[in-house]
Amino acid sequence: MAVSATSAPVPAPARFDFAKAEGNGIRDFLRTFAVAVRLGWQLEANWTDPLLFFIYSVAKPVSSALILVVMLEVIGGPSGRAFRPFVVVGSALWSFVVSGIAGLAFSILEDRERFRMLKYVYVSPSDFLTVLVGRGVARVGVGLAGAAITVAVGVVVLGVPFDLGSVNWPLFVTVFLLGLWSIVAVGLLMAGVVIQTRQESWSYPEAFAGALFLVAGAVFPLAVLPALVQVIGLLTPLSWWIAGIREALFPGGPGSIGGAGSVFAGAFGHAQPGPLEIVLALMATGAIATLGAVAVFRVSDRRAKQAGLYDRTTGS
Amino acid sequence: MPPLAIEVRGIRRVYSAKPAPVVALDRVDLHVAPGEFFGLLGPNGAGKTTLIKILTTLLLPSAGTARVFGFDVERDTKKIRRIMNMVAGGEQSGYGILTVREQLWMFTQFYGLAGGDGWRRVDELIEAVGLTEQRIQRVSTLSTGQRQKMNLARGLLNDPWILFLDEPTLGLDVSAARSLRELIVDWKRAVPGRTILLTTHYMAEADELCDRIAIVDHGRILAIGSPDELKRRVQRESIFRLELDHLDGGVATLVRLPGVVSASEAAGAIDAATRQTVVMNLVLEDDGVLGQVVGALARTGSEILGLRKSEPTLEDVFVELVGRGFAESDAEAAGKAG
Repeated sequence: MAVSATSAPVPAPARFDFAKAEGNGIRDFLRTFAVAVRLGWQLEANWTDPLLFFIYSVAKPVSSALILVVMLEVIGGPSGRAFRPFVVVGSALWSFVVSGIAGLAFSILEDRERFRMLKYVYVSPSDFLTVLVGRGVARVGVGLAGAAITVAVGVVVLGVPFDLGSVNWPLFVTVFLLGLWSIVAVGLLMAGVVIQTRQESWSYPEAFAGALFLVAGAVFPLAVLPALVQVIGLLTPLSWWIAGIREALFPGGPGSIGGAGSVFAGAFGHAQPGPLEIVLALMATGAIATLGAVAVFRVSDRRAKQAGLYDRTTGS
Repeated sequence: MPPLAIEVRGIRRVYSAKPAPVVALDRVDLHVAPGEFFGLLGPNGAGKTTLIKILTTLLLPSAGTARVFGFDVERDTKKIRRIMNMVAGGEQSGYGILTVREQLWMFTQFYGLAGGDGWRRVDELIEAVGLTEQRIQRVSTLSTGQRQKMNLARGLLNDPWILFLDEPTLGLDVSAARSLRELIVDWKRAVPGRTILLTTHYMAEADELCDRIAIVDHGRILAIGSPDELKRRVQRESIFRLELDHLDGGVATLVRLPGVVSASEAAGAIDAATRQTVVMNLVLEDDGVLGQVVGALARTGSEILGLRKSEPTLEDVFVELVGRGFAESDAEAAGKAG
């Protein structure tokens, strides 16, 4: 027996001010972003366990850099020392990249699987994308601390020749901000993926970052890769970001994009890209990555609402 | 005149599943007025939570339309989220590393309260729900009941026009559940027009709290009405439990009276050793017949030692509508899930 409609509802004496349903635009955005960064900082940095924080954020990239420098020393001997800045900067930046890419995805996974708060955040009037980006930025901040310390260790312990006076600061600031934007975009892409996935999701962001590690020129130049993989690297904003930071910190040092026989050199007629080319390429690839990430995230969000995934824990 | 708090028309929700899709809601229509305390009562898997998810913009319907205070759940999600809130039970949710104050303040920011106003609101609600002593305690150290009080406080942060409560007392002990129910009732009474949609499969909870109840099973609304209206659906006669010192001629004496539908000795109620009392269930066409029964008993010299009218429960209503009890329905749902 199915009964539709209703018996008589009880009349209500209250008056409702429908202005309550309207938002405050930019103020809401800023407030949401600020509190998301704060939450992310409290959760990700986890100051209750400083040793764990230190190991994850600092010791890991420092160790990676040391291992690579020792390998370089053994294989290349004294001639390999010219590549120390290349290796140290690449290692430092890569831990930063992993933090950024994993940050947004882990926010989804932690809130859904561990804290069981994802649905409450989602049904609040705050912009969900803003919350996620805020959480991700906090994690990037933690990664940034690790990267800075790794470079410092490279300079002090490994004797990487670093001169503050020769740093190309305009290039550094421009490339750094564009790169940060691109990292968050790639992180958003991963967040869109893990909304849909289940048990194994915790390893996806680092696996994805690991794949990019090979093609982004983090520890070896793209020129040593097959042509097709070089093309993939050239389409990745992270490759241009790392190249730009290297060029800004160590002007004229070994680059990762071009080189003799590289796809870049073949296409553009010179061995290494200049600062302007790096900035323009980073802007173009970053814009494509951002558009793609937002599109993937929006589709994933819609699909998650259709399938009821936002409050479905998967036991991972 | 304000729009309906909830207006649901022909909502259908189908989940993809193997071997066959699961119909969680099947052409549901529902109207809830502002100010109502409305209950969705049904066993596990009936579709109650699915309806709440749709109304709170967490899930899209497969077909049909749903509006909350006139706002469409698919198009006006932000507007709905500003005027409503939700609290679910039976889960250990919360950012364990934050204190109670920090967690609640964070949500005031998500709901657009200015910093100072947010802290004031948090402290008011912490006091209202009785968590003053735990206010700077980490969420991870709270008991289940305390955590649920904190969740209720979170649900009230934006002073919602409509509050969705999904099994809010699930997993709580009797005392904590009672305390939470009192908080909910006090909050609703404080301002006319506040609306609550409660899902529960605790009959007594729905009976105690709700102005109206919809009984839901297998994704369909089977009946809607006030608890009394629903009970009257199954109580077509008046049923009394009668205790006498003796009854000459047995129950046949009463069955012969006009308006008496049936009379039967209650099993196990008679003191077999002494036969000093007689206990019987008496079914009358209506309450007015009781006077004739009392008169007839007086004429036979029987003394009435006790008289109690039997009220049907919402469980009786459910059994009448569905043909099985809640426990059987829950077991059936668990079997399907397994």
